[in-house]
Amino acid sequence: MSASTAAATRRPPPWRDVRVLRVALQALFLLAVVSLVLFLLDNLVFNLRRLGIETGFGFLDQPAGFAIPDSDFRSSQSVRAAIFQGARTTLVVALAGIALATVLGIVVGVARLSPNWLVRRTAALYVESFRNVPVLLIIIFLYLAVFLRLPPIGRAVEWVDVFVLSNRGLVVPSLAGTGSTGPFLAVVVVGLAAAVATWIWRTRRFDATGQPHHRVLWALGVVVAIVAVGFLATGRPYGLSLPERGDLGVAHGFRLGPEYAALLFGLVLYTASHIAEIVRGSILAVSRGQGEAADALGLSPFQRLRLVVLPQAFRIMIPPLANQYLNLTKNSSLGIAISVYEVTKVTRVSIAQGSPAPQAIAILMLVYLVISLSIAFVTNLVNRRLALP
Amino acid sequence: MRVWRTIGLATLATAALLLASGCSLGGDDDDDNGGEAVATTDTTATTGGDTGGDGNLLSTVQSRGTLNCGVNEAVPGFGFVSQGGEFEGFDIDYCKVVAAAVLGDADAVEYMPLTAEQRFTALQSGEIDVLIRNTTYTASRDGSEGATFLTTTFYDGQGMMVRADSDYQELEDMAGATICVLSGTTTELNLESQFNARGVDYTPLAFEDNDPLQQAFTAERCDGWTSDKSQLAGIRSNWPDGQGGPDALRILDVTMSKEPLGPVVRDGDTTWASAVNWAIIATLQAEEFDISSENIDEALGSDDPEVQRFLGQPVEGEAFDPGLGLAPDFAVEVIRSVGNYAEIYDRNVGPDSALGLERNLNALWTDGGLHYPPPYR
Repeated sequence: MSASTAAATRRPPPWRDVRVLRVALQALFLLAVVSLVLFLLDNLVFNLRRLGIETGFGFLDQPAGFAIPDSDFRSSQSVRAAIFQGARTTLVVALAGIALATVLGIVVGVARLSPNWLVRRTAALYVESFRNVPVLLIIIFLYLAVFLRLPPIGRAVEWVDVFVLSNRGLVVPSLAGTGSTGPFLAVVVVGLAAAVATWIWRTRRFDATGQPHHRVLWALGVVVAIVAVGFLATGRPYGLSLPERGDLGVAHGFRLGPEYAALLFGLVLYTASHIAEIVRGSILAVSRGQGEAADALGLSPFQRLRLVVLPQAFRIMIPPLANQYLNLTKNSSLGIAISVYEVTKVTRVSIAQGSPAPQAIAILMLVYLVISLSIAFVTNLVNRRLALP
Repeated sequence: MRVWRTIGLATLATAALLLASGCSLGGDDDDDNGGEAVATTDTTATTGGDTGGDGNLLSTVQSRGTLNCGVNEAVPGFGFVSQGGEFEGFDIDYCKVVAAAVLGDADAVEYMPLTAEQRFTALQSGEIDVLIRNTTYTASRDGSEGATFLTTTFYDGQGMMVRADSDYQELEDMAGATICVLSGTTTELNLESQFNARGVDYTPLAFEDNDPLQQAFTAERCDGWTSDKSQLAGIRSNWPDGQGGPDALRILDVTMSKEPLGPVVRDGDTTWASAVNWAIIATLQAEEFDISSENIDEALGSDDPEVQRFLGQPVEGEAFDPGLGLAPDFAVEVIRSVGNYAEIYDRNVGPDSALGLERNLNALWTDGGLHYPPPYR
């Protein structure tokens, strides 16, 4: 008996022990990868030094020397400030693009399943044409063939102070702060908080008593009332800035430039065609029994879509949608082809003006990594909230 | 099981330490290789690019048999692809000059068209041996870009081109204008500093290459197009008749900057730099001696010892070899196959060509210009 228990607890020698081997091989592999990375880094540093190119990140403090249009950036500011300005543009394009592409994609995706033949065919035509063309071509086409063909500034289309349309952009009235805007913004925040509170109150009341909640109307009413009172009480701190057409451009107002518009709409049209296919696939993946049950309950087709099918389809479509959002963000770098100063263009210009390429591109990749990870994080949260328990 | 976890953690910690000690991309003082934990890097680290290390590019090019020349493909007169698919231009001819001097064959050139943003990275990585692409000599390019600039071949200046029907005469008239420019060039920086210095407000529109830029200018998206005056002259000469031809455009009489254009090589290889430099200088010296591709054969029999020395002909004994690594009579091949500076200039950008540029600053010092070839002795 003592012999058998001794045999059961005796370990095999290390070179035959599978537990040791597992750990040892993984450790060796990790060491090999780390050594390779260090070798490559060392090679890079050696070659940069040999060429006399700096190997540090000091270039970030150098003055940029180039201007960035449509911004407050001055050429005497540092390269770091230029990269931040570019990153801000990328972020705005990405967020606006994601929002617009999602809306358009859902509409077209649902349209592809419409019982109406014309609607269905038009949606299919849109999806097939835009999905199969490289997005760069869509962007360049929109710019060269659509937006540049608008009338030049001398023959701009204008409508009495409301908008001015030319190939230098569409200018609409904007809000301009005329006094101290701080107190008003505080009032706006208070108004939004009150609206959220109202929404929750009305929903609770509906849950308790069953009476219609009209929560959207209530929340909107609360916000509008508080903001209006605050606006008058703080002395009307915002005024309308109306566009005035000059010979070379339009002063005041908010301008949507042709380059920016071409990039944004190109990205939206392309990504929406992909999102439409994802939406269509997700709707088809919801079991038919759900749709039939909704019909049996007497729901109209719109109610069936809105209350039964789409909520279940959303759960399925979140991961592929996240993928499309990341693609859109990265595709925004195609703005370099039409002079949109997003972060890739700013980095390339600064490299051409003397910043060392390896470090600058590493920073560029880091910017995209941060933006992409944030988008992925948010979509993961949504995914987890919607997941079946 | 605690034992395995400890071993695993210990391995991870070692790996992390190695990585942390290896991350010294910045802030190192000048020790030999930025000495890292990995010991194998010294001899094997010189794997970057085609050069094979310092001082070797001349022999590498000669053994390879072709010259990799970084050029432009979109500037008429300097670097342009003709209808037949051939590269032609002032800078292209200088690629041929270098090939004739180094390899003895002016056609042994591999032309690599590059954009303004790519050119220095291509040079630094060894993708090209020499960059002859209307590149301006500046301090930051000499310093932080790791480039060595050779003899200036073309003294140019930056100008502004506008539509002929607009009435701009000076830069101050262009307040509020939108100006198209190529991105990644000294032009972009000069535009910014010139307009700032005059306190004039403008909007830049910087494109990667000339095609969308030309579309935007034609569509009246921008009011001015700024670039080197020689480039503007070339573009104007090629302006399509459907849009009014060259008369639809006007180049302002304003010079916004100095733009000395010349060939560029990588830092760290002085043998290659000297060899290419003297190939360039040979064309200027040939013009000074009045030797052209037409009278080269008579010049070979000349009595003038200066000419004899320049052409590498033996004068009472051995031919003169200045130790550049080139054949003693390299100038003969250069002049015979490409020509002297005057022929290269007149053929591509001269008064009788489409660009119609007078010599002015680009004449020899004896004619009031800036070209002053150092003595060949």
